[in-house]
Amino acid sequence: MSYTLIYSQVTGHIPYLLAGAWLTLQLACISFFIGWAIGLVNASLLVYGPRPARLAVRAYVTFFINTPLLVQIFFIFFVLPDMGILLSPYAAVAIGMSLNAGAYLTEIQRAGFGSLRRAEMDAAAAMGFSLVQTIWYVVLPHIAKALYPPLANQFIIQVMTTSIAAIFAVEELTGRAYNVNSLTFRALEVFSITAVIYVLLTIACSLALALLGRWLFRVNAKVF
Amino acid sequence: MEEAPRFFGHYNLLFIGEALVNTLLLSWLGATLGFGFGFLFAICRHPRLFGLLPLRIAATLYVELFRRIPFLVKLMCVFFAFQLSGAQASLFTVALVTVVLSAAAFAAEIARAGLESIPAPQWDAAEAMNFGRWRTLWRVVAPQSFRIVLPPLFGYTVGFIKSTSIASQIGVMELTYAAKILNTRGFSALLCFGTILLLYFLICWPTKHFGERLERRLARR
Repeated sequence: MSYTLIYSQVTGHIPYLLAGAWLTLQLACISFFIGWAIGLVNASLLVYGPRPARLAVRAYVTFFINTPLLVQIFFIFFVLPDMGILLSPYAAVAIGMSLNAGAYLTEIQRAGFGSLRRAEMDAAAAMGFSLVQTIWYVVLPHIAKALYPPLANQFIIQVMTTSIAAIFAVEELTGRAYNVNSLTFRALEVFSITAVIYVLLTIACSLALALLGRWLFRVNAKVF
Repeated sequence: MEEAPRFFGHYNLLFIGEALVNTLLLSWLGATLGFGFGFLFAICRHPRLFGLLPLRIAATLYVELFRRIPFLVKLMCVFFAFQLSGAQASLFTVALVTVVLSAAAFAAEIARAGLESIPAPQWDAAEAMNFGRWRTLWRVVAPQSFRIVLPPLFGYTVGFIKSTSIASQIGVMELTYAAKILNTRGFSALLCFGTILLLYFLICWPTKHFGERLERRLARR
């Protein structure tokens, strides 16, 4: 049996899919920035915090890195209602993705903090920099340069992971692809177009982030 | 919690055990086969081995595209491609093909980093000793790049153990799907998903930990 690809029935739905891509970006941004904040707090705790806090952060990171995101969201979505916390699918996905991203971003930012050298701080002190000046002129530019490429990379990963939200009936790009599929029954056409949109979306994000990095921090981030 | 003894009954344990085997088989077999293909891609992309430009472009395009498509979307494409082509394939095969397709793209990058870690003078030296290019690859470059390639493969395998949870979406009998079935049979979500989370953790953590230790040990040498 052979199957002919007919794209003409699907092309009309491309604007609808692209509107879903907007929600994809939104979800990626929310989870990335909350995850970033979690990671920043955690990484500071790992470097400066007391021992129990360090252990707690280690446990959090190890657990979230070594279990699948999908099951984490299932857990949030199905277990929390038993305890009286009712979440919308969107909220459950956003919380799950943020916690998951938080674990990865803790690791990334801890490595960034670790790249700061004692000698640089001493040099700043010798030049008579105040604490604020040291942080603003020495610590931040250095850390930003070291951290920017892995952070940008993590954002791209977040964009792709949002597809999991479709499983919880959130109508982002993949969720809308499911919808179009059940309207037209042109499954292969719909999902191949969705794949192409994901490729273009992530390339656009990589390009934008590379330009932003070059402009803000003089980082030569790679696109490919 | 009072249903825990009933949950961990004989048949449920067998059920979860079978799902665990499927998850492991899917991810390990997929990652291994994927590494084979990925290594081939890396060879295709290496300027010393293949001068053929179209082949290099095709391999690069494959690697760049497949790393930018979410696993779920790839899974759906493969699933419907199998269904619409009329080929008779089990759901496990569909999921395995998806894992191999995406693993190949990621492994190609790991293998490329390994091959590129060997400095060019070694290729020249091997040529001066009248080694052919394949013999150079096999006798000189591959044994040395082993140190660079091996450690990231553990993290990569863990990545696919986690990705296979998405295969539950098309109904492959792996851990996540087993948890969903047990949940619909009336066991509490806490028990079902908690157990599965713990099992995933118990597979992934030692693998990743071993990879990190290996990386440190190989880096010291």
